[in-house]
Amino acid sequence: MRPVRCPVVAADVDIAITVRGLTKSYGKVEALRGVDFEVRRGQVLALLGPNGAGKTTAVEILEGYRKREGGEVSVFGVDPERRLRSLRARVGIVLQECAVDPYLTVAEAVTQRAGLYPEPRPVDEVIDLVGLEAKARARVKLLSGGQQRRPDLGLALVGNPELIFLDEPTTGFDPSARREAWDVVRGLCAEGRTVVLTTHYMDEAQALADAVTVIANGRVVASGSPDTLGGRDHGMTTVRFVLPAGVSVGELPLPEGVEPQRRGEFVEFRIAEPTEVLHALTGWAVRRGEVLSGLAVVRPSLEDVYLALTGGGQP
Amino acid sequence: MNDLLIVKDQVRYEQKAYWRNPMAAVFTLMFPVVFLVVVGTSAGATRVPGTTLKYDQYIVVAMLTFGLIAACYTNLGMAICIRRESGVLKRMRGTPIAISSYVDGIIGSVLINVAVLTVVVVGIGMSFYHLHFPYHPLATVVTLLVAIVTFCALGMAVTIIVPNADAAPAVINGIYFPIVFISGVFYPLSSGSVLSHIAAYFPISHMITALVSGFEQDPGSGLRPRDLMVMLIWAAAALVFTARRFRWEPKHR
Ligand SMILES: Nc1ncnc2c1ncn2[C@@H]1O[C@H](COP(=O)(O)OP(=O)(O)OP(=O)(O)O)[C@@H](O)[C@H]1O
Ligand SMILES: [Mg+2]
Repeated sequence: MRPVRCPVVAADVDIAITVRGLTKSYGKVEALRGVDFEVRRGQVLALLGPNGAGKTTAVEILEGYRKREGGEVSVFGVDPERRLRSLRARVGIVLQECAVDPYLTVAEAVTQRAGLYPEPRPVDEVIDLVGLEAKARARVKLLSGGQQRRPDLGLALVGNPELIFLDEPTTGFDPSARREAWDVVRGLCAEGRTVVLTTHYMDEAQALADAVTVIANGRVVASGSPDTLGGRDHGMTTVRFVLPAGVSVGELPLPEGVEPQRRGEFVEFRIAEPTEVLHALTGWAVRRGEVLSGLAVVRPSLEDVYLALTGGGQP
Repeated sequence: MNDLLIVKDQVRYEQKAYWRNPMAAVFTLMFPVVFLVVVGTSAGATRVPGTTLKYDQYIVVAMLTFGLIAACYTNLGMAICIRRESGVLKRMRGTPIAISSYVDGIIGSVLINVAVLTVVVVGIGMSFYHLHFPYHPLATVVTLLVAIVTFCALGMAVTIIVPNADAAPAVINGIYFPIVFISGVFYPLSSGSVLSHIAAYFPISHMITALVSGFEQDPGSGLRPRDLMVMLIWAAAALVFTARRFRWEPKHR
């Protein structure tokens, strides 16, 4: 008998997750109204969106916890709704709520979980990774609220997953803990793992994600890299500086069509491409022996784009 | 990894967590022991009507019943509620083990607790209250097994009507306490009384009757099929309810 081979479509090998036209409602609430996105292997995708946007719903459908109503979903080529063990062995999950047995120590909880996976990572390594070396022998119960999410992350990583879902992984973290968590995610990414995270924080998406999908009210309102999202790369740049003493706005060497505005002691204007005007301005200032104090060149922030896309967070 | 090994591993961690959380152990083990010492010693040696056991010996059997219910119904129900509400069950469902292995681990740990309880309580009875080793050991073992199945099933079923973690102790104990009081756990029921008629609808008094029978020096098998049947009906109802309505996740808030 000839061995049966599964046909592999060459183009799909690189794709970890495909979501097409995904819909889901809870009673009258339409949580997802036709969502599409794709995650390549080794990529970090951030699902960004306000409260109630549908992020957790989307992620939990991909994790196999919830059933979708319509659309197609595939994780490593498999429909997660089938809840295959082989798929669960390849996926690590951090839920929005922390879930670790409070009466076990950190090391025990991680060891217990390691025992459930075919190829776990070394327990010590995982504990180091989530920054709990000093707390390995402490009961989870005794960790602070923010610290409790760390063993949670450890439990998601100990199975050596190829794909990791992180639902708001840094909510409740102090700024330094957040940076550490980011380093963990970057490390996962460097190891070639695929990460899907949800967040409300623009800076988190910017710092970690290769791709951002913005969801609002159950729909994808924008997607792209953090740099190009919502046409951010084509957006107007703002140039601002303190108007030198004794100079009127009209004397500034600005090209036609630029409309400078006074804001207190500052003057600012918006321009699509600032290179040339900056050259002219700084040359002008140097010739006159002036300084352009407080000079700032600001691209539209991801936050501005996000607020514009999601309508200021209102559904 | 093999599922059976996983269950064994889960049992080990369950036991660790159990002995670290004194509240659970207090009800299953400490309470029956203390009650035995306090009430048993003052109970005297009058015979309980309708049995061949002395009053203090009856209390031993009653406390075995109390402890078993605490371990199977109360502790299992609480453990499942707390884990469901904190997301542990949900989280376990995301791992490659079958979630049933995880629940089996919890139940396996409960069985150990029941074994410890049985040895301790019967040991105290035999050492201090002249309780004879069961004359009908088979009847005792069968009764204990039926009781374990029944009260574990009820422990799982009760989680369905517990809406959230805060309500768990109130709901679980609120159902149990009134029934335990009227079922002859703290004092023998006088036969034919109103209470005994009410208690007959519930499994606890039947468990006591069936257990007592194993310790009685009577001819026959010591088995009490009618009492066991009442317990098994409750078990079946609880299992059907569980199979239909069990929740792995907290309700959406
Ligand atoms: N199990 C559920 N039952 C009923 N409604 C639900 C359920 N889960 C989510 N919803 C509703 O669906 C919508 C989307 O919720 P979801 O949790 O997916 O949003 P989210 O983007 O994760 O929000 P957050 O940022 O607050 O976590 C909300 O209106 C929510 O109230
Ligand atoms: Mg959410």
